[in-house]
Amino acid sequence: MSRQNTSAYLYILPTFAVLGLFVYFPIIASARLSLNRVAPFGNQEIWVGLGNYTRLLQDPEFWDTIRVSVLMTAGTIVGVGVAVGIAILLSVPMRRLSWLHRSLIFVPVVISSAIAGVLFRLLYNPVVGFFNYWLSLVGIDGPNWLNSRSWALTAVTITVVWRQIGFNVIIALAGLQQIDEQLYEAAKVDGAGVIARVRKITLPLLTPTLFFLLIVNVIISLQTFGEINILTDGGPGRATTNLVYSVFVDAFVGTSFRGFASAQAFLLAILIVVISFVQFRGLGKRVHYG
Amino acid sequence: MRRISRLIALLAVFALVAAACGAGDGDDAAAGDTTAATEAPDQAPDETTAETEPPAEEPAEEPAERITVQFWHAMADDLGAVVDQLVDAYNSSQDAVEVVATFQGSYDDTYNALIASFDAGGEPNIVQNFDLAAQTMIDTGKLAPAYQYMSPGDADAFLAAPRDYYSDENGMVALAFNSSTPIVYYNAGMFESAGLDAPAEDWTFDEFLATCETLQASGVQFCATFGTVGWYFEQILANSGGLYFDNDNGRTGRATEAVFNTGQGVEVFDFLTGLIANGQAPNLGSTWTDTDSVFFAGEAAMIFDSTSGARGFQDNADFEVQTAFIPHSNSSERNGVVIGGAALWLMDSGDEAINAAAWDFMSFMTQAEQQVVWHTGTGYFPVLGSLQDSPPADLASFWEENPNFVTAINQLATTKTINDDGSPNYAVLGGRAGPFPEIRRIIVEAYSAVLDGGSTPQEALDEAAGKANQTLSDYNEFFGG
Repeated sequence: MSRQNTSAYLYILPTFAVLGLFVYFPIIASARLSLNRVAPFGNQEIWVGLGNYTRLLQDPEFWDTIRVSVLMTAGTIVGVGVAVGIAILLSVPMRRLSWLHRSLIFVPVVISSAIAGVLFRLLYNPVVGFFNYWLSLVGIDGPNWLNSRSWALTAVTITVVWRQIGFNVIIALAGLQQIDEQLYEAAKVDGAGVIARVRKITLPLLTPTLFFLLIVNVIISLQTFGEINILTDGGPGRATTNLVYSVFVDAFVGTSFRGFASAQAFLLAILIVVISFVQFRGLGKRVHYG
Repeated sequence: MRRISRLIALLAVFALVAAACGAGDGDDAAAGDTTAATEAPDQAPDETTAETEPPAEEPAEEPAERITVQFWHAMADDLGAVVDQLVDAYNSSQDAVEVVATFQGSYDDTYNALIASFDAGGEPNIVQNFDLAAQTMIDTGKLAPAYQYMSPGDADAFLAAPRDYYSDENGMVALAFNSSTPIVYYNAGMFESAGLDAPAEDWTFDEFLATCETLQASGVQFCATFGTVGWYFEQILANSGGLYFDNDNGRTGRATEAVFNTGQGVEVFDFLTGLIANGQAPNLGSTWTDTDSVFFAGEAAMIFDSTSGARGFQDNADFEVQTAFIPHSNSSERNGVVIGGAALWLMDSGDEAINAAAWDFMSFMTQAEQQVVWHTGTGYFPVLGSLQDSPPADLASFWEENPNFVTAINQLATTKTINDDGSPNYAVLGGRAGPFPEIRRIIVEAYSAVLDGGSTPQEALDEAAGKANQTLSDYNEFFGG
């Protein structure tokens, strides 16, 4: 080994040691656990091979968690669209107050998911909450947001989207500012209206940013945890238990079944990798890099 | 440019995925390590010696050196401050033992930390763990049961309910520390304007519903409010004399089957879900806190909650709060309540001197003086019978000023732990099963199945029992069950 190589290995050693300890080693340990049934306090293991996985795949509750994860992700994608709309509105060189708007829009990102959860829990309360009070002012009898199976997932998704929107807007704004002003001026000269300019110039040139936002948001929503934990604890029933929350409950809440939880964690990781791969393959081609 | 953008996007994906796996699996690894350690054969001898050797075999050889005892607890904020106060009192009362108290977060956090410590080292000597974990704590195989350190007759000092809850056939396995039970708090003003007297101690579901009717007729929006947690079902079932598990609630043998879907269980669940379905209580989900705001805002006349909240209700309501016993089914006699809260568990350190030191602190905590400080400071029960019979002056005056604490204690003290024929009343001793915490979650789902999923109480409980039985057999498989 040449001297040069040795020093190269020395350079990567600290990073590799940290990654090895906190990422690679746990992944391997978790893989082993997923092939066992583990007693709640960990002092006994029963080897089951792929038993945890086959049991999961036959368990309707597991497919339910997948369904919840996918629906929540779909909601988040709608949220990306909303964010891009807000960003386009904000990008109009708007007098003196645009810095204020941008700051206000960004505030939810700074709030932790736990605090957002507590806040929305209060807003959603069916008896003393604000949302239903405001709805009642316009004559609507508001739903029991967090405690009815048909609304709970929507309520949680709204919270996730709300918290994520500031980040999305800022990234989209940065993308918008990269677009050359001359293109708009040329289009104006050619007689293109506002809508045509947005459709023909803004959106196509924004695709790299949109692609980035899409991938990041999909991953974040698949990993939603804090809001669920605070708002609904996965309920009512299992209406808001996504895959991440199911892993958490099985591993750490009450009676823990860590082998079963590890198997779910592995399926979650595979799911995220597959979805990201599909996104790169399917959507990557349609991205216009300027 | 094109390449760089793609690279950045790809990197972002991998960073996020890696972070997800890191966070999720990191803790799993801790559990994995635990397994490795507890499989090691050197654990076994410690355990057997601990059981055969009499405690405190070696008198402290070097009195100059203090033994350090690690005490992990789950008491946050104000409660934690009272714990620290008691620990300080103990440390300054003698110089052989120094107790180091560490707040570990919730009961779940504390328990997960305990599991991790089995491998990583730094095990606590005393750990606080909640009622439902009793069977799992025994099953860790690392417990030094309290009865090893108690003289015959010591256990008689305790109130029957907390004593028997934490006992197996040999005696007490842990010391009840922060004990609480459910109770009904009510808005005295609303009762008065509806022309209602204080509820009877042994009120039935029908009497409860009649009260509801009167209250709602007088203009109160909701008669009562409670979270759809498993606890009230367990407690009202016990009050109605119903069992939760087979094998006498898992107390004469390992629980193998849930029986809450038979007999009293259905009547109780029908009552609880009916309150919500019929608009007598709002559906707030499985909450412990959202019910408070409904009660404080005057939207509900009654609230089911823990006795440990007595002080909070008294201080935070801008109306007079009074207390009543929880109701029981129409077809039963009042049985009483199951003790809840948590206990102190002595973990076997393998060193008798340390175990004895830890025990010394635990017994200090259950002495009358400390119990009075604990009770008046937190609202948790004093667990000694003597305080009940002849309270010291400061306790007596405290009770005079805070009559709601007295209701709470009376409800427990009048609990029928022994049947008329002299046999133990297993209903109020409470269920014991390894995966009880998991089964409590299953009951939460059963509420939703009735309120939102179109099931009848019987169907929901049958489904819950099926899931519970699966969980029980998964757990028992580790113990030759």
